[in-house]
Amino acid sequence: MEYAFYLSGLVAVLATLGVISNTNPVHGVLYLVVSLLAVAMVFFALGAPFAGALEIIVYAGAIMVLFVFVVMMLNLGETAVAQERIWLQPRTWLGPSLLAGVLLLTLIDLLLRGDGGVLVQGDVLSAKQVGTILFGPWLLVVELSALLLLAALVTASHVGRLRHPGSDSKIGEDAP
Amino acid sequence: MPVAVLIAYLPIILVAATAIAVMLGIAWRREHAVTVAASVLGLGLALIAQVFAWRVIPVHTPLLDFDGLALLAGILILASTLVCAILAHGYLESFHGAREEFYVLLLCAAAGGLVLVASRHLASLFIGLELLSMPLYGMLAYAYHEPRSLEAGIKYLILSAAASAFLLFGMALLYAQTGELRIDVLMASLDSHTGIWGLAGVGLMLVGLGFKLSVVPFHLWTPDVYEGGPGPAATFLATASKVAVFALLLRLMLSTPVAQGDWLRAVFTGLALASMLIGNLLALTQSNLKRILGYSSIAHFGYLLIVLVVADGLAAETGGVYLITYVLSTLAAFGVVILISSTISGEDAAALHHYRGLFWRRPYLTAVLTVAMLSLAGIPATVGFIGKFYLIALGVEGQRWWLVGGIILGSAIGLYYYLRVTITLFMAEPGMHRRDASDDWGSRAGGLVVLAVAGLVILLGVYPAPMIELARALGGITIR
Repeated sequence: MEYAFYLSGLVAVLATLGVISNTNPVHGVLYLVVSLLAVAMVFFALGAPFAGALEIIVYAGAIMVLFVFVVMMLNLGETAVAQERIWLQPRTWLGPSLLAGVLLLTLIDLLLRGDGGVLVQGDVLSAKQVGTILFGPWLLVVELSALLLLAALVTASHVGRLRHPGSDSKIGEDAP
Repeated sequence: MPVAVLIAYLPIILVAATAIAVMLGIAWRREHAVTVAASVLGLGLALIAQVFAWRVIPVHTPLLDFDGLALLAGILILASTLVCAILAHGYLESFHGAREEFYVLLLCAAAGGLVLVASRHLASLFIGLELLSMPLYGMLAYAYHEPRSLEAGIKYLILSAAASAFLLFGMALLYAQTGELRIDVLMASLDSHTGIWGLAGVGLMLVGLGFKLSVVPFHLWTPDVYEGGPGPAATFLATASKVAVFALLLRLMLSTPVAQGDWLRAVFTGLALASMLIGNLLALTQSNLKRILGYSSIAHFGYLLIVLVVADGLAAETGGVYLITYVLSTLAAFGVVILISSTISGEDAAALHHYRGLFWRRPYLTAVLTVAMLSLAGIPATVGFIGKFYLIALGVEGQRWWLVGGIILGSAIGLYYYLRVTITLFMAEPGMHRRDASDDWGSRAGGLVVLAVAGLVILLGVYPAPMIELARALGGITIR
């Protein structure tokens, strides 16, 4: 199991280097997805399948969706198609695919060995245990995170408002 | 839940509940005055609850630890948030656009500060710090149609996110080293096990916290953000936010055994000297009052770091007294800037020439600003002098001669630019572009609050006993 941990860790580091060294945001995001998947693998190896699953669902999933939304909203037409064709060169996808391939091989190898419960050390931490801690002694942190998200939401909704220099504030009036 | 724990939590609960209530109120109907009244009521109740919590401390919970220092810092945070909310009312009256969201953000940030000062676990520390910073992005960028305000918000957002990344990385390294997330245990076990990774972890955490305190190598954002952000947001940043982070650092240092952490004290000495000198020197050439106040706050936190270097006996009391003096003086100074900027929307009136000859038009307001400047400079008969006196006494007692020299040199340099502001107020200069407070500023809530704060600056400067008693009583209940 240890080699899976180290291999995933290595992939995560390399992919993150890819994120910060790429000047093109699309390439960077591709590497970021691989990096997040690799971190999820690390979580699995450490015996935290719940955190690993969340990592995939929230981070890899949400970031992909967000990215798709941005591409859809920009809706650039012909030039965008030409740009996408340029992006489809092997130079772009070869790196992330290679790293993702390493992750896949590691996963397949572990699955073929049959024992899903092997860990580097320690016990498997189930979703139930995480929930018991989060909504027991750590309830305060959950509540404060909610407040944090509220503040972020209010900030985003205020700053994202369209500019209406003369208008006084009425709900709905400023909506695009 | 035991009653004592509930009472200790009550201020946080009240502030958070007020934030939710204000948000729901905004969703129902937008009324600026009602929103302000609700926010002020909630903050006032929280302040009263915070004072009542005195009877039950110290209270330990797994995540938060309410001791005297946390209580004192909480009182300061709530009081400065209250002043910010009242000043924001007059300031936002002339603001085009949604005004009410500001108070939701202000209340959220205050709750974050209350959590931060009481945190005893790295998780609550981080969440508290983020809850303190996150609303500030929105508050600083609140007047987002002003390029300066937007710039301030984005600058603070990016740099603060980088600082949080440093902080998290430091926490991860410390956890890898010690396997511990509770702060007191962590700090106690540092020296016996400190390897290179533990040192790196503490260093990275210092970078993160030093950024929020804007001590010198991490100070570059401060003047721009203070200048660009709307007055009440900059005030909150200069008072409540800094008080919270400093109180946290003080608790960290007090829980480190004295014999250990010598290298940490050496680092703090270097940071303190650099902040005092560079902060004061950079302020000399500024011609914008908010920028001057920004550099002045860098210098003041340089002085305050002495408390962390000595960190024994008198230290908690000194820290408390100096924080009170700093908050009062800064609130008075920023209050005048906000009152002057309140009359028309647009950029804040902070350039020094806006204040030229203010005395001949608004003598009482000028008196307030003069008192604030003298107090920041540490002139006797103002509260700033008491704070400086305490710091120098602490430095002498701890035999930190370099730091005492630094305070004296820094104060001498500081005197120049504080007095330059004061002189500008009295110079008659006809025909200059003028900004002015509204005619009835003295009878409005904001004006009354500023006058009250200035009155406190003088009163506690002449008769400091209650302040000292408070700091001593609360500084004594520190958990070792």
